[in-house]
Amino acid sequence: MRPPVASRPRFLNLFRISYPIGAIASIAHRISGLLLLVSLPALVNGLDYSLQSESNFLTLRTWLASPWATTILAFAAWGLVHHLSAGMRHLLMDAGIGTALLQARRSARAVILLGLLAAVAILLKGLL
Amino acid sequence: MHLQIYRYSPDDGQPPRMQDYRITPDPADRKLLDVLIRIKTIDDSLSFRRSCREGVCGSDALNINGRNGLACLTPIEGLREPVLIRPLPGLPVIRDLVVDMTQFFAHYHEIKPYLINDTALPERERLQTPEQRERLDGLYECILCACCSTFCPSFWWNPSKFIGPAGLLQAYRFIVDSRDTATAERLDYLDDVYKLYRCRTIMNCTEVCPKGLSPSHAIEQIRRALLDRSM
Amino acid sequence: MRLFSGQRAWVLQRVTALILIAGLIWGSALLLFSGPISYAQWKSFFAGGHGATLALLCFAATCLHGWIGVRDVILDYVPQRIPRLALLSLIAVLLLASTIRLGLVIAAQVSR
Repeated sequence: MRPPVASRPRFLNLFRISYPIGAIASIAHRISGLLLLVSLPALVNGLDYSLQSESNFLTLRTWLASPWATTILAFAAWGLVHHLSAGMRHLLMDAGIGTALLQARRSARAVILLGLLAAVAILLKGLL
Repeated sequence: MHLQIYRYSPDDGQPPRMQDYRITPDPADRKLLDVLIRIKTIDDSLSFRRSCREGVCGSDALNINGRNGLACLTPIEGLREPVLIRPLPGLPVIRDLVVDMTQFFAHYHEIKPYLINDTALPERERLQTPEQRERLDGLYECILCACCSTFCPSFWWNPSKFIGPAGLLQAYRFIVDSRDTATAERLDYLDDVYKLYRCRTIMNCTEVCPKGLSPSHAIEQIRRALLDRSM
Repeated sequence: MRLFSGQRAWVLQRVTALILIAGLIWGSALLLFSGPISYAQWKSFFAGGHGATLALLCFAATCLHGWIGVRDVILDYVPQRIPRLALLSLIAVLLLASTIRLGLVIAAQVSR
C-alpha cells in the first residue's frame, strides 16, 4: 500500500548543502544581529551603573580591560562590524551598486574579513 | 568513477539512503547526465528526470556535491569524488531524484505568467522598440528548472508563502514588458510580507542559475518599482 | 499585521539603518577624538541635552531596527501563529522597556 503523499521525504540536510560566500555573509549578518539585539539590555545596565558614581565608573573601566571582558568585547566587535558592513553592503546593493555576481562575491568576502579583523584587533589590544 | 546517489522508494517502506555506484565512463561521456544514463545500464531502478540533454528543458536539475545544477551541463572532468547526487532541496521526493514540482509551479502560476492587455487587438502584433525588447533580456530565458528557488533558504523556510526567485523573476519579466498593461496590479500583488519580502538578498539563486540569470537583480528591481510608486 | 506590511517594514529597516550608521560614525568620532574620558566628562555628556537626546534617539532607532530584523527571523523559523505572536510581543515589550529605562537614566542626569 503506497504511503500517503503527505509523508514524502524532503532533502533538507543543511550539513549536506554547500554554501556560496554570500550565504555565509548572510547567515553571519543574521547571527550578529541577534547577538547585538540581546546585548542591548546589558548596554543600558552598564550605562546606568557607570553613571551612578565615580567608583562604579572606574570599576567598570577596569573590568573592561580584563581578559574576560576582552573576549566578550571581541565577540561584540565582530558582531557590530560584521552587521554594520554587511548592512552597508545591502544598502549599496539596494541602490544597484555591486549587484553583479562577481562583485557580490567580492564584497561578501570583504565584509566577512572586516568582522574577523575587528575581533582580532580587540583581542590584540586587550591581551597585549 | 565513484558516485553516491540518493535513493528513495515509496514502495519499500525504507527511509531515504545514499547508494554507492562505481562505473567506468565511456570516453565520449562528458557530462554528469551521460554518466547517470550509463548507470541505468547497471541499475535501471534509479529514477531521474531528463529530456533535452542540452540545458534548455530544465528537467535534470539536481543537487550535485551540495550545489544545485543541471546534470546535462555539469562536466564530469574536475568533479570532486565521490560525486554526491541528491534531489533538489526542500521539495517532496516522489522517488530517488524525482521531486514533486507542484509547489514550484503553483508560485509560477500565481504571478500570472502571461501578457495582460485588454486594449484593442492590433492588426498584426503589439510592437516593441528594440530598447523595450532588450529589457526582457535576462528574464525570458528562464527554463523553470527550479535550481534557484530550491537553493534559496527563504524558500526552504516558507515554501508555500514566499514566491521564490523563479516566480519573482517571471513576475518581473511581465512587469517590465511594455506590452503588458497590468503593471499596477502585478506590483500590488507582490507587495506582501511573504510573497516578495521574504527575500534577504542572500543571492544563492544567482549563484546556481544554469542559464546565468540573476533573480536577485530582478527582485531588487521589483522592490525599487514598489518604492518608486509609493513615493 | 498591516502595520508592518512588507514594504513598510523594509523601508523602516533601511531608514533606521541610515540613522544608526550616522550615529555610529558620530559616536566613534567623539570617542576617538576625546582620548581617555573622566567620570565628570561622561556624566556631563548625558546631562547635556544634545548628546543625550541623540543617544536616546539612536537607541530607539536600534530597538525598532532590531525588532523588524528579529521579526524576519521569527517569520522564517517559527511557523505557528501563537508562539509567533507571543515572541514578537515579548520582544517588543522588552525593547520598549529598555528604551524607557534609558530615558529615565538620562533624565536623572539632566535633572541633577
